[in-house]
Amino acid sequence: MTATHLIEQIVRRERGRLIASLVARLGATNVDLVEDVAQDAIVSALSSWPYKGVPDHPAAWLRKVAYNRAIDRLRRSVKHDVFEEDNLPTPSTSDHVISPTLGDPELDLMILCCDPALSPMDQLALTLKTVSGFTARDTAHVFLIPENTLAQRLARAKRTLRKNAGQLGSAPTRFEVHTRQPILLKTIYLMFASGYAPQHGDRLIQHDICVEALRLCEALTANKLTNTPETQALMALLLFQLSRFKARLNQSGKLVLLEDQDRNLWDEDCIQRAVEHLQHAKEAKTLSRYHIEAAIASCHALAPDWNGTDWRSIISLYQALSDLAPSPIILVNMAVAYAMDGQLDKASALLDQLETEKTLKTHAPFALAKAKVAELNGDLESAKRHYKAATTITTSQATSDFINDRLSALESL
Amino acid sequence: MAQFVMLLPHSPERYASIPEADFMDLMKDYIGWVEDMTAKGIMAGGEKLLDEGGKVLTSTGETIEVHDGPFAELAEVLGGYMIINAEDYDQAVAIAKTCPHLVHNSKIILRQIDQEHA
Repeated sequence: MTATHLIEQIVRRERGRLIASLVARLGATNVDLVEDVAQDAIVSALSSWPYKGVPDHPAAWLRKVAYNRAIDRLRRSVKHDVFEEDNLPTPSTSDHVISPTLGDPELDLMILCCDPALSPMDQLALTLKTVSGFTARDTAHVFLIPENTLAQRLARAKRTLRKNAGQLGSAPTRFEVHTRQPILLKTIYLMFASGYAPQHGDRLIQHDICVEALRLCEALTANKLTNTPETQALMALLLFQLSRFKARLNQSGKLVLLEDQDRNLWDEDCIQRAVEHLQHAKEAKTLSRYHIEAAIASCHALAPDWNGTDWRSIISLYQALSDLAPSPIILVNMAVAYAMDGQLDKASALLDQLETEKTLKTHAPFALAKAKVAELNGDLESAKRHYKAATTITTSQATSDFINDRLSALESL
Repeated sequence: MAQFVMLLPHSPERYASIPEADFMDLMKDYIGWVEDMTAKGIMAGGEKLLDEGGKVLTSTGETIEVHDGPFAELAEVLGGYMIINAEDYDQAVAIAKTCPHLVHNSKIILRQIDQEHA
């Protein structure tokens, strides 16, 4: 890891902590002020590093200096008795760059961002920006939207938060934590997905986003109120996916499909941890979609190779997932599983049945699944046609590179 | 081994209205360089000076006048300094030439520290 990337991580973490602890003091209505002050304090604390270099314990140093500067600034800009000397919290001096557990103020802040009145995208954008400290530039990049569009969305979201802040004090009640938990899990799930998707820019930032999603999820497992079987299942799912992070793209950044991945690159520790969390998740009374998705991921992670994968189990898990949350995209994956299990007729029938689904017309994996099944059926002409169709749909460079490779392999047959 | 001071001046308004993301990028350049020099054993120290222009004391012979900065007549302010280890001026100049300060600003003043009389 380069020094500058390390600094980015530290800044992100410390900004999140600083905002969380100041919001806990000043209340949710002051989120804007707090964000400005925190940012300012961080930048001003950092600005001596170009001359003196990075201190020995950068995270601890930054936390202390930025916190003191933020308090100074707030003393000057607001009259508020929470800033009486006696009431000031003392900053912790632990210097973990990525702490395995959230302080409670951070959890509270995340609960605040996951307001049901906001759209899932706004909940995620706010969490990334406010709790996790990603810059506006990086956050905008994740959503593939211009920075000023993101700024407008965030401003609108914060207005909504301020309106609702009366209902949610700085410390959420047990009931509020309970009702917002599904949103917390969804936000973490989406955060991870946005870091994992192949089309979203800077690979280091993407990896950081995935690790951050994992950290937030871990924080939920560390808190009695939020450590539910669903949280454990999500944790398992994230770890299974993360274990393949390195194997998923090759050295030139091209997408490598699961079947072609070098399984030696899969992170064994990650898989081991995932299996443990999946064990804990079993205490659930009802299965969530995270349980099923984690179970599917575990089938892949524990298979010796692509052909040795337990496709029968995967088919029945997709069926369960589809019963729980019907979606044509799940059926596309199920068709691929049928094809891999040698049940080509069922695969073709399912894909034919999906032709009428409007949402799939712009879903590249659907065209890829059709190409794959045609290829397995020995119908190379249709396979080529479907691959070509897929290239016109995808917006991802990695995916279209992959398709072009498949096409030229087919051309040379 | 001799030591040299690198004085790093910039124009007074250089950082006044720069977008924050750009400022961070610029700092990363400097920090990367400082870390690199530290790893090579070249960097011996440094400090940033506070942005409020400082004070100037002038003796009139009878009294001492104290003026607050910043001083409008100055074309530049001193942002900070670094101390580097180098064999001689040639080597110190070669090192200073690689400093990103000459990309983001335009001048470095290099002075050798007098160690013989230390």
